[in-house]
Amino acid sequence: MLTPYHGRCWKLPDGVSSDQLIAPPHVFNFEPDYLRQHLLAEVSPDLARSAKPGDIIVAGAHFAHGSVHSHPFIAMKAMGLGLICRSLSRGPYRLTVFMGVPVLTIDDETYCAIRDADELAVDFATGEIRTTDKTFKAEPLPPFLMEIIEAGGGFEYAKQQSARSSSHAGSG
Amino acid sequence: MGQTLSQKIFARTSGRERVMPGEVVWCSPDLVTTPEVAFPAYVRRLRGLGMDKLARPERVVVAIDHEVPAHSQAGADRNRITREMAAELGVGHLFDSEGITHPLIVERGLVRPGMFVAAADSHTAVIGGAGAIGIPFGFETALMMAAGQIWVRVPETIRVTITGMPSPGVSARDVALATMRQLDEETASYRIVEFHGEGLRHIPFWDRMTLCGLCIDIGAKSAVVPADDTTVAALRSLGVADAEMMTSDADASFAHEISVDLAGLAPQISIPPSPTHVRSVLELGGMEIQHAYLGSCASGTIEDLRASAAMLDGRRVHPGVKMLVIPSTKRVFQQAMREGLLNRFIDAGAAVAAPTCGPCFGGTAQLCPGERRISTSTRNDPGRMGSSEAEIFLASALTVTASAIAGRIADPRSYVRS
Repeated sequence: MLTPYHGRCWKLPDGVSSDQLIAPPHVFNFEPDYLRQHLLAEVSPDLARSAKPGDIIVAGAHFAHGSVHSHPFIAMKAMGLGLICRSLSRGPYRLTVFMGVPVLTIDDETYCAIRDADELAVDFATGEIRTTDKTFKAEPLPPFLMEIIEAGGGFEYAKQQSARSSSHAGSG
Repeated sequence: MGQTLSQKIFARTSGRERVMPGEVVWCSPDLVTTPEVAFPAYVRRLRGLGMDKLARPERVVVAIDHEVPAHSQAGADRNRITREMAAELGVGHLFDSEGITHPLIVERGLVRPGMFVAAADSHTAVIGGAGAIGIPFGFETALMMAAGQIWVRVPETIRVTITGMPSPGVSARDVALATMRQLDEETASYRIVEFHGEGLRHIPFWDRMTLCGLCIDIGAKSAVVPADDTTVAALRSLGVADAEMMTSDADASFAHEISVDLAGLAPQISIPPSPTHVRSVLELGGMEIQHAYLGSCASGTIEDLRASAAMLDGRRVHPGVKMLVIPSTKRVFQQAMREGLLNRFIDAGAAVAAPTCGPCFGGTAQLCPGERRISTSTRNDPGRMGSSEAEIFLASALTVTASAIAGRIADPRSYVRS
């Protein structure tokens, strides 16, 4: 079971594109320690320096639209960040899961009620989001995708699956 | 109840008789494509997990297309490692500086109607112009290369009916942008955009690549023009024999339907900061530009080069504009050379470069703060082509050429010769 995230809210507006999350000149590099230095460099310059594991990016609609790039999610995973947003399209939705970044989509009311720098406690497994004075509920990911996130991402999930099938083969 | 084209494709590739939208199925893609940008990183990740074999290497395409020719030591190293790794893994198709992956695999006859092509790169939807479905997966492509399979949620389909005949100066980009005006991300996400209608007769084979490729930027899963006579004839000339005209059944269920009338359509343009911010070119007429770019996987076709060169015949690029022309593949480059088009570009004051994705993502020909470029490429996010204080406007090859001549954003209908 994924342990709940406790940390600071980094609030972002609607429509932050994939190219704004990690600028195109950096997409040749896939190293987590490199990419984390460039996450949201133009939109939220403090984030790369100050974000701590357990912090949550709370974004508006169409998060990471545009280029289907893995890089922002590699950076977020390396930094231990969770993601909450009003919406994200198919490409980034898959990549958050594949990179092992937990994600929840929220309604407008929840998005408006959460402020930048709020203390948040987020249980991605149940969909419960708590601020210091309010509690909200979002629909958690389907169990199939939660399993991938709990494993730490698609590669780790594949590794677990193959270890499991070979250990079954051994015991059979 | 009939099936959509994508239901048929995902049924076939998952080994099922029938699949329904919303179902999650495991599919074996017919082709998996990766540019050199990502390939070495993918292979290293797989090797780190002890995976040093590709499930179906004959279905894997690796293309060195983003940094061509290499203009950094890191790029040169990456290109060399890509060649070496592709050889070690027995990759079926390595294209080394031959052109941009998406039009290239169509040109080389690797794409057939009804195929499922999975790609690392975003703009694989381009191949929808050949009646196949191309879907981007980013880093997941690595695992897919090793496993030969990927889970896919069977998408719903949006039917776009194209009617009427366009006026001279209006082309596929304008049709794509008119489609974007009617489909927002909420409507398009997780869905396939499928084009139908008698108006498609006026959209030639390679222009259909532009039409489909741009739909990925609405947030759609992909886009496709189901194969018709035009597709079959074009593919035959590319060496693909007996391509099947696979399409959605007449009684298939569509999640959403819109129509676009070519008759009344004026040239369209995407303004910063997103391709989906679409205006009529007339609304922006007169805005000064310093750069014009014709190229990328969404253009750079022989048809776009011909149309642009014809417009430039007897005219010159405005002295205040740097115009850059990049054919999308080597074969297009050679064809344009044979037809005298490249000479015409150079005579008119434009520069011509070898096939690459380069300028589209700011890899070459970067913009300075305060500059404006009109471009046939795919995206116009701030910083996409260099300075985040530069502005990028996206339009058809004709609008880009007319603007390059005028030195300001111009309506191509005043420049086309009948």
